[in-house]
Amino acid sequence: MNPAHLIPTPDLLPVPWGWFQLLLSTTFLLHLLVMNIMLGWAIIAFCNHAFKDSIPEDNQLISRKLPFTIAFAVNFGVAPLLFLQVLYGHFMYTSSVLMAVFWLSIVGLLILAYYATYIYNLQFSRLSGLHTLISSIIALFLLIITFFFTNNMSLMIHPESWVRYFDQPDGMMLNLGDPTLLPRYLHSVLASVAVGGLALGLYHDWRKRRGSATAAANIPSAMNWFSYATIANFGIGTWYYGTLPAAIRTVTGASGAFLLGFLLLGITAVIMALIYGLQHRVRYAAGAVLGAIICMVTVRELVRRQTLAPWFSTSELEVVPQYSPLIAFLLIFAAGLSLIWWMIRLVLPNDKEVRS
Amino acid sequence: MNYPIWQLDAFGGGLLIAIIAIIHVYISHFAVGGGLFLVLTEMKGLREGSAEILAYTKRHTKFFLLLTMVLGGMTGVGIWFTIALISPAATSSLIHIFVFAWAIEWVFFLAEIIALLFYYYTFGRLSPRKHLILGWIYFGCAWASLFFINGIIDFMLTPGEWLNNNNFWSGFFNPTFWPALFFRTFMAVMIAGLFGFLTSVNIKEATLRHKMVRYCGLWLLTPVILLLASALWYKAALPPAQQEMIFTRLPGMQPFLTLFIWLTPLITAGGLAMAVLRPQAIRRPLTWLLLLLGFLYLGSFEFIREKGRKPYIIHDYMYSTSIRTTELGQIQETGVLASARWVKNKTITPENRMAAGRELFNLLCLPCHSDGGPLNDILPLARRFSPAGMRSFLASMGTANPYMPPFAGNEEELGVLADYLTTRLVPGIADSPVHISKEIIVPPPFDRETAGYLLLASTDRGMILSSEPEQSGIDFSFGPPTLRAQVIQRGETPAVLSEDIEVSYRIDNDHGPLLGNMVATDNTFEATLSKIPAVSQDFRPYLLAEIEAVQGGRVIAATRLKIGISTEIGCRNCHGGPWGQQGRTGLSRQTAANILAVHDQRSKTRLGDDLAAGRIVVCRDCHADHSRGAAGQADRLNLSAAMHGFHAAYLYKNSNSCTFCHAGSDHGTTGSPEDLHTRLGLACSDCHGSLADHAISLLKEEQEAKKPGSNKLLTLLADHGTLPVESIKGRVPWTMEPDCLTCHVGFQPPETATAFNSWTADKKGLFAHRFGDEGVLLCASCHGAQHTLYPADNAHSTEAGNLQPLQYQNSPYPIGADRGCAVCHTVAMDEELHHPGSLGTFRNRLE
Repeated sequence: MNPAHLIPTPDLLPVPWGWFQLLLSTTFLLHLLVMNIMLGWAIIAFCNHAFKDSIPEDNQLISRKLPFTIAFAVNFGVAPLLFLQVLYGHFMYTSSVLMAVFWLSIVGLLILAYYATYIYNLQFSRLSGLHTLISSIIALFLLIITFFFTNNMSLMIHPESWVRYFDQPDGMMLNLGDPTLLPRYLHSVLASVAVGGLALGLYHDWRKRRGSATAAANIPSAMNWFSYATIANFGIGTWYYGTLPAAIRTVTGASGAFLLGFLLLGITAVIMALIYGLQHRVRYAAGAVLGAIICMVTVRELVRRQTLAPWFSTSELEVVPQYSPLIAFLLIFAAGLSLIWWMIRLVLPNDKEVRS
Repeated sequence: MNYPIWQLDAFGGGLLIAIIAIIHVYISHFAVGGGLFLVLTEMKGLREGSAEILAYTKRHTKFFLLLTMVLGGMTGVGIWFTIALISPAATSSLIHIFVFAWAIEWVFFLAEIIALLFYYYTFGRLSPRKHLILGWIYFGCAWASLFFINGIIDFMLTPGEWLNNNNFWSGFFNPTFWPALFFRTFMAVMIAGLFGFLTSVNIKEATLRHKMVRYCGLWLLTPVILLLASALWYKAALPPAQQEMIFTRLPGMQPFLTLFIWLTPLITAGGLAMAVLRPQAIRRPLTWLLLLLGFLYLGSFEFIREKGRKPYIIHDYMYSTSIRTTELGQIQETGVLASARWVKNKTITPENRMAAGRELFNLLCLPCHSDGGPLNDILPLARRFSPAGMRSFLASMGTANPYMPPFAGNEEELGVLADYLTTRLVPGIADSPVHISKEIIVPPPFDRETAGYLLLASTDRGMILSSEPEQSGIDFSFGPPTLRAQVIQRGETPAVLSEDIEVSYRIDNDHGPLLGNMVATDNTFEATLSKIPAVSQDFRPYLLAEIEAVQGGRVIAATRLKIGISTEIGCRNCHGGPWGQQGRTGLSRQTAANILAVHDQRSKTRLGDDLAAGRIVVCRDCHADHSRGAAGQADRLNLSAAMHGFHAAYLYKNSNSCTFCHAGSDHGTTGSPEDLHTRLGLACSDCHGSLADHAISLLKEEQEAKKPGSNKLLTLLADHGTLPVESIKGRVPWTMEPDCLTCHVGFQPPETATAFNSWTADKKGLFAHRFGDEGVLLCASCHGAQHTLYPADNAHSTEAGNLQPLQYQNSPYPIGADRGCAVCHTVAMDEELHHPGSLGTFRNRLE
């Protein structure tokens, strides 16, 4: 069976695809950052409980903030998932149906992990020996969710693997035959640990600059998480790159130049971040990491486009223009961001109020 | 057609959506109303200077946050995941049409989360004014989320002008947008009160507890009137098609409507009880009970709204099978298998019929039905049908069954799916052909040389349909037959006697003999039986009546008459249930119960209760039965029009539509119709019209009488007859029937074989009541009763249908045929006294 015959017909777009690509990449970047912190912190918290004799201060911090990271990782995940469905819905709905049981289980796992973070937070001082168990549940569930997401993102761009549906129509299909799946997944997990460590480092750096006497002592361990995870990720990243189809690795023309350019830029940024990380220069490392993530998100998008190139290009999507809803969205988006900024200003400690 | 189907089996039929959606919808309404509750309760605490109320508000906020942000938020994502798995095409449509509405909703969702977290974590840390501002921002954003989701949800039910202009704003601000928004807002406030009970009832200090419980009661009770008003507005805003679907057409909707209506006073009473009753032993369980009732309240509403879209997932745009309305015609032409992307069997072969059937089942049934699950289970439905019944049912989808989408496949696919559903998915109720063993019936003796009299007997109906009310519990039988006899004194000029003679009948059956005398009327003796006698358990589709003429105490003539009785009624083809007797005939109580369940559901009756209570449901009590002069109710369709009018919408396509319900199928227990015309190749429809034409003729008479329901049924049949509706003449059943002389003009061999639409003017014109030209002999006396005309060929007995010709002439042909005038006249005749052509040789010889 020709997989091309299985690809559904896409729906019409209200504005050209570039708008959605921009919104997808931007919001995905936000999601990725928060998701990395969420997963990284969950793993770090578990490792600290499992392998350290005493409970580090970081775990107390993580227990307080982890529920927020889930709230925002999910919220920031909604937008890119929406825009992904606009551009690639006909691929993604299909892959989701093929792995429906796993895909839907994400909701249940997320609810359990989310409530577990609240137990971890609200009962932290009373959990005694259960810290390891609770943190392992959180980390495990989030790792499973990450795997399912990675799997879906892999399955959606490989229509040639869809034909297995006819032997397995019960929604239990995974794309385990994809050689990129495991390194891609591990790459995400290690990046999460690195970003999680970096986020801890940034927090301690911020506290240090606000006069905390103990904060500086916590920076090295946080940056170690970042640095060692990043070093390991060089290996995994190389593995991942090696598993990409030769057609993508050797792609020429503008697409090839972009892909290679952003990849090299990203690697350069990561090397810089690693150097700063090993020197415990947190904010420099964070700046470099942000640059690296932007490059890697772009590379990821280019790889998807190249992988799907034999089947589909977003430029093929038909547009029946209606701009007024976009304008309404952009206005409300701007107003929403202003409102959020205003709320942050409202709740941030005001020196005058504190003194009075 | 575009996407693969997740084969969920028992978890299908909307179960996943129902579980996730109702939980989410309940909590998300709480997230809106509860936001208002938080700020107003905090304001109350500040106004009254009550640290306890403020402390309660903070505790409630924590509960609120944990419930709405975690379970509420995640199940919201869960609904999105679920609908994309169950209905990817519809989800894709909604995402693409309303992408920026979703995006705006996301912005409010983000602001909502931030505002709520700030609100909770800054209790006591911010000035009251600033803290309240956060609370108001939260509520504003939560309500705005509702605003935007509401537009999309209601678009699915009432897309309004969007269908014509595809404009985002037309779809968003659709006809039910505003009433739904108000309805949901008031519902959200009520739910805030319900959840308020949950925390306030646990306040330790009794006075404060009572105060706050009463306060929560106000939240529950204040919006009730507004909620009901907005519900009525919502109902009024529904276009007629959706109104009709929800409130009259959709099977199974009534319990949800009733639940919603009854829960309103129940929840109100519960709220009052909470405000009045102080004991914790009452309040605590009542709180949980009210929460459950609230869940059912909102759940029933959402169920009604969701089901109200049927047969669409987006009204008038996309069917629940994910087929767009604009694509249907093309797919019906091309075929589902050829059109769908995710099928293996693109064409049907004898080898892959069942595999192809399974794929059709996946594409066309699974989007709504589960396979053995608790919701919309298809198995009990499929078990009710024979393959032919299922074919008729599938063909009626979208018309007679407007809550289901029109069958999207071609004729071949319809047959394959019907076969799959009724023979592979379930064991099925298809019957194997019956082997009929013939009995030999010896006619009474007659000595042509010495006999002085001839007794000719007939019935006014050749085949009497009996639903066997005592057994089945439902009575739609024809009126009992009238037996007729004519006593002829043989001679060159025979006399038809009616004076000084007694004619009696005796019908033996399993319940003992049925005896009686016949009453003389002019030239005929008649007896109308009080009821249709029961056929014997050793099934034959007739009973034999022994008829004797006695003069002066002496039997001067005797004969034997076959009374055809039809108990082989095909209701079970669609209504399910076993046969009533012998495994192959009779209406079973189970089938009757299923029939009445449909009647109750469609016509809002309670006849099923009558049956269950042991009472016989007599159809003619409401529906006039002209076969016996029962008047019925003036505003109801007569029984013939109701029966044929209703069922024709399902069966009009069926090539064997008559024998689908009536006896006479080739492989049935009764056997093929025995009438002469059948052997000559004529079908029922040649005289009575196709089922649709037949039903239209009956309905048109009722339409002229302005009977409710006639227009609707006629509309369903409008395009399905062989003649334009306008050209079909209305008729009164059992009076205005096909006239034999339409084909047999001047009693001559017919030049046409179509008698439809030319009705007898009155009962005198009916074959059963008609006399020959001499005005003395009933047509039926010489030719047999209608539908069993001599020479009949009864499947159960070669002799049964021709007893009198065999008795008097030793041939199966009509009395006096083949110039056999001597049977009465004792001599040959050369004058065609009875009708033109009566002296000819009978044309249609048995082989």
